Amino acid sequence: MNQEKMRVSEEIEAAKPSRGFWSDAWQRYRRRPIGMLALGFVLFLTIVAIFAPAIAGTKPVVCSYKGTLYFPCLGYFNRSWESPIFTKDKFRGTYPKNLKQKDPESWAVWPLVFQDPYRRVRENEWPGRRENPSRDEGHPNRLNLFGTDQYGVDIFAKMVHGTTIALLVGFVSMGLAGSIGVLVGALGGYFGGWVDMITSRLTEIVMCIPTLVLILALIAVVEKPTIWKTMAIIGATGWTGIARLTRAEFLRLRQTEFVMAARATGAGSLRIMFRHILPNALAPVLVPITFGIASAILVEGSLSFLGFGPPPPTASWGSVLNSARSNLQLWWLVVFPGAGIFLTVLAYNLVGEGLQEATDPRLREAKK
Amino acid sequence: MTLVVITLMVYGLARSMPGNPLTVQLGESDPSRKLNPEDQQRMLEIYGLDKPWPVGYVQWISKVIQGDLGRSITRKQPVTQLIGERIGPTVLISGTALFLTWFLAIPLGLYASARGGRIDERFTGLVLYALYSFPTFVAALFLQIIFAVWLRDTHWELPLFGMSDLSSDAPFFARCRDIAWHAILPITCQTYVVLAYNSRFIKANLEEVVRQDFIRTARAKGAGPWRVLVHHAFRNTLIPLVTLLGLSLPALVGGSVIIEQIFTWPGMGRLFFESIRERDYPTIMGLTLMFSVLTLAGQLLADLLYSIVDPRVNVE
Repeated sequence: MNQEKMRVSEEIEAAKPSRGFWSDAWQRYRRRPIGMLALGFVLFLTIVAIFAPAIAGTKPVVCSYKGTLYFPCLGYFNRSWESPIFTKDKFRGTYPKNLKQKDPESWAVWPLVFQDPYRRVRENEWPGRRENPSRDEGHPNRLNLFGTDQYGVDIFAKMVHGTTIALLVGFVSMGLAGSIGVLVGALGGYFGGWVDMITSRLTEIVMCIPTLVLILALIAVVEKPTIWKTMAIIGATGWTGIARLTRAEFLRLRQTEFVMAARATGAGSLRIMFRHILPNALAPVLVPITFGIASAILVEGSLSFLGFGPPPPTASWGSVLNSARSNLQLWWLVVFPGAGIFLTVLAYNLVGEGLQEATDPRLREAKK
Repeated sequence: MTLVVITLMVYGLARSMPGNPLTVQLGESDPSRKLNPEDQQRMLEIYGLDKPWPVGYVQWISKVIQGDLGRSITRKQPVTQLIGERIGPTVLISGTALFLTWFLAIPLGLYASARGGRIDERFTGLVLYALYSFPTFVAALFLQIIFAVWLRDTHWELPLFGMSDLSSDAPFFARCRDIAWHAILPITCQTYVVLAYNSRFIKANLEEVVRQDFIRTARAKGAGPWRVLVHHAFRNTLIPLVTLLGLSLPALVGGSVIIEQIFTWPGMGRLFFESIRERDYPTIMGLTLMFSVLTLAGQLLADLLYSIVDPRVNVE
């Protein structure tokens, strides 16, 4: 009876289409509570990053002004997204009073925390509120959750807007590094011969120069570093590990039957490389990319910390830490951004490790 | 060959940085002391900076082949002498840190794989993992706050930065003690990240070896758990460890830009940082050459050590 049941269930099992590689990996990943926690934290950060202007800012999320709806908070992402009408009407960045004065009919939805990441909030800017404390008086308090820096700029607002920067740095620079790395590795691994010679040498050379040294030199070359240039530089120097892994995967996979089959059907080299081999090589390549995001965030932090980062108005976590260097008694300038960088890096590392354990067949067998 | 390409690249980079040693240095100190154009031209000629950079590179490399790294433009000293001055403090920090990491990482790794999966191992594993993700510059700031600000005027106060407060004619032992006192925080910072990484690395390698058949054989013939771990398993993980050791050679002499910058430690990392700021081409190039040579030497060293730890490997 029992055996009968087993056979039936086995048949059902066999009839179901077998799970694909990625859903299999996901099932495996889900079993690790720490990995899931880290993934949750990364998602949380992404949400904070996207909605940063709605969480902390001095510009309304939505406001109705002279009969039209505006979204001035988008100005935090890009100056030009803030409607020019507010410059024309001489708002000068302070909305609460001006909105009421210039149009009594207006209404607005404000960010959760009325603080600005770029400047000190003045007295009565929000009706009935005191000025932000500056210098060593800016302990964390009810209005400034994480305290203020020596100029009276709110740290919580800086942290929230810094999240956007940190995640952008991670994704953009690793996107770039990933593309370069995969391209170089794929070319070398697939074609072999002299192409491989050149790409391997190139990888070796870039690997030989210490990363921070190369980055510092490159940053000195671009005269005015913006956050985008910093990202580009981090990406342009961080691709070597990915290239080596991709090359190894391509070397292995180009010998396989399915590649030969693809070649027999007349697929071109490019098609074979990117449609047939790359999807199969993706999992091992994705792991160093995840770790790379963590290290890119770390590198940007240390660059801003050394004062080589993007210029002051950019609110990055590292620049808050940099300002703490000369004000060591203001412990809140270290604790909050430090914890931010630490937790983000930790989360990405944990996600990377979970991914590795979920996709690497060697580790998978080990767990059985 | 690799060396030539690397130095060529860095030379090109260095020379394409805006400004030159003269303008950067004088413009910062005092705008009124700016050189008039003729003087500037004359000095550029003296330093050989008036020619395009490929020519400058050829001049530089032909001197290097003769064993001359040139003179620092901003410090008016031969680069070799400059490096010689800075290498001591750096090795003091990174050498101690390197020793400490390996001294601690190996027992930690062994312990972790011996007690794999138990509560205490999981806890230390998690702590080590957290330490590995903890940025050095944040840790350095925390340590500075704790030991130099909160613990000020107690027994535990440690100096904030610099290498020594005493003048050079102070008694030898007092100076040693003072330097050691100043070195504690930088050494701690440099040790913990590498320690966390290395012990995890050792553990991962051990776990891979422990699953192999000869370990089961060793257990079956009655070897004790420690003997199996140290004598049979650990010895077979030495190859990747030696690779890692080889890779850490450039860092041993190159130092860490960030840590030396935070603690204003007069070492190589700081020298590099300053020479980039000052556009001091000969120093930048001398340091780059040294880093690259060391990286390659580290790889070579690892290859040589392979044959010692694994008799099957032949050095040809």
